[in-house]
Amino acid sequence: MMELRKTLAGRIALTAVATVVLLFLALPIVVILVTSFSNNAFASFPPETWTLNWYKALFADGSKWPAALSLSALVAALSTVFSLVIGVTAATALVRSELPLRSAVFALVLGPLVIPQIVTALGLFLFFEPAAMLGSPIAIALGHTVLASPIAVLILIATLRGIDERLEDAAASMGAGRLTIARKITFPLAAPGMIAAAIFSFITSFDEFYISQFLSSVDTVTLPVQVYNSLTFEIDPSVTAVSAILIAFAILALGLVALVRWLGSGRQDSLLSVENTVGVANPGGEAV
Amino acid sequence: MAATLTAGAPARPRKLLASRRTRVGILYALPVVVYLLVLFVYPIFSTLLLSLKDADGSFTLHWYADALTGVNLSVLFTTLRISAETAVLSLVFGFVLAQAITRLKPILAGLAMLVVVVPHFVSALVRTYGWIIMLGDKGLVNESLTSMSVPGAPFQLLYNELGVVIGTTSMMLPYTVLLLYGVMRGVDRRLLAAASSMGAGKVTIFRRIYLPLVAPGLASAGLLSFILSLGYYITPALMGGPNQTMIATLINQQVTKENQWNGAAAQGVILLVLTLAGLLLVKAVTSLGASRKKRSA
Amino acid sequence: MAEFGIAAPSVKVAGVKSATATGKALSVVALRKTYGDVVAVDEASMEIAAGEFVTFLGSSGSGKTTTLMMIAGFCEPDSGTITVGGRDVTRLAPQKRGLGFVFQQYLLFPHMTVAENVAFPLTLRGVPKDEIRRRVGETLEIAGLSGFGGRKPRELSGGQQQRVALCRALVYRPPVILMDEPLGALDKKLRDQLQVEIKTIQQELGLTVIYVTHDQEEALVMSDRIAVMRNGLIEQFDTPRELFERPRTPFVADFLGAANFLPGRIEQHDGEHTLVRLDNSGGLIKARHHDLASGTRVKVAVQPGRLRACAAGDGFCTGTVENATYVGTLVRAGIRIDGGDGPLLRLEVPAGRGPVAGERVGISADPEDVNLFPTDEKAG
Repeated sequence: MMELRKTLAGRIALTAVATVVLLFLALPIVVILVTSFSNNAFASFPPETWTLNWYKALFADGSKWPAALSLSALVAALSTVFSLVIGVTAATALVRSELPLRSAVFALVLGPLVIPQIVTALGLFLFFEPAAMLGSPIAIALGHTVLASPIAVLILIATLRGIDERLEDAAASMGAGRLTIARKITFPLAAPGMIAAAIFSFITSFDEFYISQFLSSVDTVTLPVQVYNSLTFEIDPSVTAVSAILIAFAILALGLVALVRWLGSGRQDSLLSVENTVGVANPGGEAV
Repeated sequence: MAATLTAGAPARPRKLLASRRTRVGILYALPVVVYLLVLFVYPIFSTLLLSLKDADGSFTLHWYADALTGVNLSVLFTTLRISAETAVLSLVFGFVLAQAITRLKPILAGLAMLVVVVPHFVSALVRTYGWIIMLGDKGLVNESLTSMSVPGAPFQLLYNELGVVIGTTSMMLPYTVLLLYGVMRGVDRRLLAAASSMGAGKVTIFRRIYLPLVAPGLASAGLLSFILSLGYYITPALMGGPNQTMIATLINQQVTKENQWNGAAAQGVILLVLTLAGLLLVKAVTSLGASRKKRSA
Repeated sequence: MAEFGIAAPSVKVAGVKSATATGKALSVVALRKTYGDVVAVDEASMEIAAGEFVTFLGSSGSGKTTTLMMIAGFCEPDSGTITVGGRDVTRLAPQKRGLGFVFQQYLLFPHMTVAENVAFPLTLRGVPKDEIRRRVGETLEIAGLSGFGGRKPRELSGGQQQRVALCRALVYRPPVILMDEPLGALDKKLRDQLQVEIKTIQQELGLTVIYVTHDQEEALVMSDRIAVMRNGLIEQFDTPRELFERPRTPFVADFLGAANFLPGRIEQHDGEHTLVRLDNSGGLIKARHHDLASGTRVKVAVQPGRLRACAAGDGFCTGTVENATYVGTLVRAGIRIDGGDGPLLRLEVPAGRGPVAGERVGISADPEDVNLFPTDEKAG
């Protein structure tokens, strides 16, 4: 670390390697964004001519994309609601109560995050198949909630821990009742965390592939499954446009989380600071 | 209401208060516990049962025997090999990038971190697709190499192990960078200054002070990307050839194409066991690091 | 406030009771709290008059904070009663007691402005908007915070934040304001300044204040009366002067004045005085009259500032100055008493007339400043 700092050569080497690694991370995304406007949507870069045809094709008659998109949106919305309910209650239990077997509950919450998603997906398949619920949006949403709710729990645990419980004591000492404290003190302070938890739950469900694939039927195909299918079986050039939309969506959501976090923290760091970015990427990090 | 309680029953109100907090805790913990027991623990448990059941319902281990012989065994080895390659590469590149970010000016560091974080939240499927576009015969990489007249270009970069490892490494990099950045920020710079005040050279400081301090973090970051790669499916399936079939791909095939649930269950359990073993290792390494930190404090 | 008929304690209350006094009396009877086997507070009882400034003084673990928390309602007593203005609040939730609380950590609501923080307890009480604005303005002005109403707490310094916290507790005129080491997080200079400000506001508004601190000087400066606490017990509850001059236990004598303790035996009573033969020097020291039998073994306690240096051979003992330290207006000296092998006798005299190291001096004390504490014969 220090030994590299002083020598110019070492510094250049480090910068060069770091730049290459950054390009390595960024290029696949940039390439998709650019290619989605290219006349030749497959494997040609840079594009020779520009077009919006792929985006138009998404909504052409017979396109499978609108159905997949609306299914994914519906499933993600349901998962978000489920995850928030589970998240708020679980975080309250884990942070603000005397819970027997607290560490066991916490381990249970972490489980879905560390166990391979394919295993979880297989289990859910075996669970829903006998119930003839394959292809049901509810089943897919319930499955996604298994992955999304732990993230919501972690974010909300970190949020609740960040709220000094004695602020509630202070309010109580001035005569505020339980409900007033929740409404006037805890909720406003927890709102940024709840928004972040909602956004992350939504994204987790919206991008989820393994469970969706195992639980989908011919009629109910979520967006990621449709993308996968069109990359493997049916060659559909619109997949580039869909991918670009998914990227834009992820960036938008991330920006929203960063904004909420930044506003919630009282605009302490700059919006683009490393700490803020790391915090956004690792929203429940403080809880683990 | 509580005011009517007299001082005659001194211990009761306090006990009531304590148990009220406990009851609230149990009530609020109920949704998550029930949910995950029903939709997470129970399904995995039934997977385990299924993997031990023969077609007629009797106990058997032959699904495991199948999973650990022949083609299936070589798939398992491929999985371990690709995961190891991915872990090493993402650790090395993650270390360099995290190192660079800790030393950049704040604005540049923030931008660099953004480039790390944004892909982290873009669907792996989409990023894999990006690599497919980039690594094709007429993709950005080969076109650039050809235009620079690199001998041998265009290279075969897709549908082989190189392609898979490029893909999985790029998926794991954000994890390792974020983890290692946290570890590096946790190093007390004053220790390094103290060492140099004692006359330690830069190489000595790096080797004797800095590396041991970040070593547990490095180890757990490497292990974690190894574990995460084990169950990976999308990238190997889309960017690999037949020789890069990984265990998750096999599970998927058995379920969706061959209706071979018992075999899939056995492979799922093997994957689960490998993952749990890896997690135990991570935990051991972390507690080692924690105790070292405690001793140094 | 008189209708509640709580008798003021017999000691003089130094606080000015203005006609607009808002504070009420508070009484604590046989309050007890245990955590497992540990008795945090043991049968604490006290009567606090309306408009009185009372401090709970003790080191950590003395039970002072636990007592305060029980009065506030954040912690429930095992037994005992707490009465505010004649109303039993022992089993009420904190929000139903209507008391004010100032925390060491300020605990301002970070999402509200200063004015919103101060207005919060008023909005809870359904006070009309106009009146809220007026009272918030008034209160902020009292604390010297006019013009800060629109700021967020984090934009203020620690001292300003604590002033806001004080305003927030003042604004709804609670019958009793509880303060838990409110100045503990501030530096010395700011602390001194705020001590005076809080005391002034308390006197002007006639507030009843219960104040917790471990800082003796702070307690002496601010309080009408101080409850010195140790191991869950109230050692003594008195005015600062009484505590300092007539400590009832060796602990109080030591804690407030860092007294010198000299073992000895009561030799005789001489009208208004009691004479004690000191063990180490064999000298005879004259104390004010103590109702103890001749022959009783005692600890003689004298504050270092109440000892005087005189010519060698005079006074109750003679010794050699072993060290003398100049500390501004005072000289602190350590005296090795002839024939004694105990700790050095500590002496504080005005600078300029101080002894110098190596000098032979006699030591004397006004009998009024000499306190005697009987000791257990066996412990002797």
